[in-house]
Amino acid sequence: MHYKGGIIISGVIEVMDNKTDKTEKSITECDVLILGGGPAGLTAAIYAARAKLNSVVVDTGVVGGQVASTYQVANYPGTNGVIRGIDLVNNMKKQATEYGARIDDMQEIEKTVLLGDIKKVITKKNDYYARTVIIATGATPRKLNVEGEEKFTGKGVHYCATCDGAFYYDANVIVVGGGDAAVEEAVFLTRYAKKVFVVHRRDHFRATKSAQDELFKNPAVEVLFNTEVKAINGTDFVTGVTLFNNKTNAIYEMPIDGIFIYIGTQPQSELFKGQVETDEYGYIITDDNLQTSVKGVFAAGDVRKKAIRQITTAVSDGTVAAIMAERYLAALGS
Amino acid sequence: MKVTVYSTPTCPYCVMAKDYLTEKNIPFEDIDVSANPAKAREMILKSGQRGVPVIDIDGNIVVGFDRRRIDELISQ
Repeated sequence: MHYKGGIIISGVIEVMDNKTDKTEKSITECDVLILGGGPAGLTAAIYAARAKLNSVVVDTGVVGGQVASTYQVANYPGTNGVIRGIDLVNNMKKQATEYGARIDDMQEIEKTVLLGDIKKVITKKNDYYARTVIIATGATPRKLNVEGEEKFTGKGVHYCATCDGAFYYDANVIVVGGGDAAVEEAVFLTRYAKKVFVVHRRDHFRATKSAQDELFKNPAVEVLFNTEVKAINGTDFVTGVTLFNNKTNAIYEMPIDGIFIYIGTQPQSELFKGQVETDEYGYIITDDNLQTSVKGVFAAGDVRKKAIRQITTAVSDGTVAAIMAERYLAALGS
Repeated sequence: MKVTVYSTPTCPYCVMAKDYLTEKNIPFEDIDVSANPAKAREMILKSGQRGVPVIDIDGNIVVGFDRRRIDELISQ
């Protein structure tokens, strides 16, 4: 453990329940509790730890966030445009722990109490008491919500091309979406697939020009604009999709081996529902200092309501949130 | 204990899973399914799906880097 002293009480109490089986639970007190270990959370940890605040990052899985499964990150400054997503977040993690932040991964969060001077986060293994909380829980891939999507997840329906693309060697796949992720991952999939169809409901892509240029010059890619996926069909595995052309109103079946969905994200904010203000989609609303509707609770990264969600903007949010958390604590007087 | 990890070189969760087993001193056989179609088929038959990593721990199949499930199986 890289944690270097401070006001942390890491005692162990034994809770006996009616069935006499013992559960060990440890208690952690800290200045800054960061929920989520993607670029926003890890950056906040770097800044908070450097400010000599006791900082703990809690993640429900392994740290890294969505970047961890991005094959290559082309637009993160200072990396020559060739860094793998997993290397980028591992570097951030290393930097955060070396400055003294503690990282608790694989935590099952059961409850959060954000109101009040001391915030409480209860996980299966730990009770955390924090003076400030930075919510950096990020977002998860948005689902299409069509018939067959859930049934065939992992069986032809995928959300991570770098993970599962290799199963589609010499196969025909479709990518759904029109943003950077859809366009970039479609090009990635041509390493394996014989043919990649990009299905997008609009008549143009939102992806950057350079990503689109890569796509359009690739002979293994075919673009289907004005097209929506209405159903995903198969038996044990996906065998095809039902497509709808929203210009001609034609509905047709297309045989396909796999489908990769990149239609944006949804915020992971259910845990804080009713406690902090969100917009209609669940994105957390903050002020210019990234403070939420609750004093001492900040939000950073993709979970926050904002126009641009990039690694660079997540890192920027993490910076601002940590510095504002530090000022909030200073104003309270320690 | 016999442990097999079915993985692909570009899959970050495969790297995490293998690092985790190494950290726990659990020896394992690493199979790159992107380079071995026969093993890819074997993995799909065992797990009923096409996502990686798949970890076979003494015949128990773990899909994805599910650390809790891995901990359960390696502590037995």
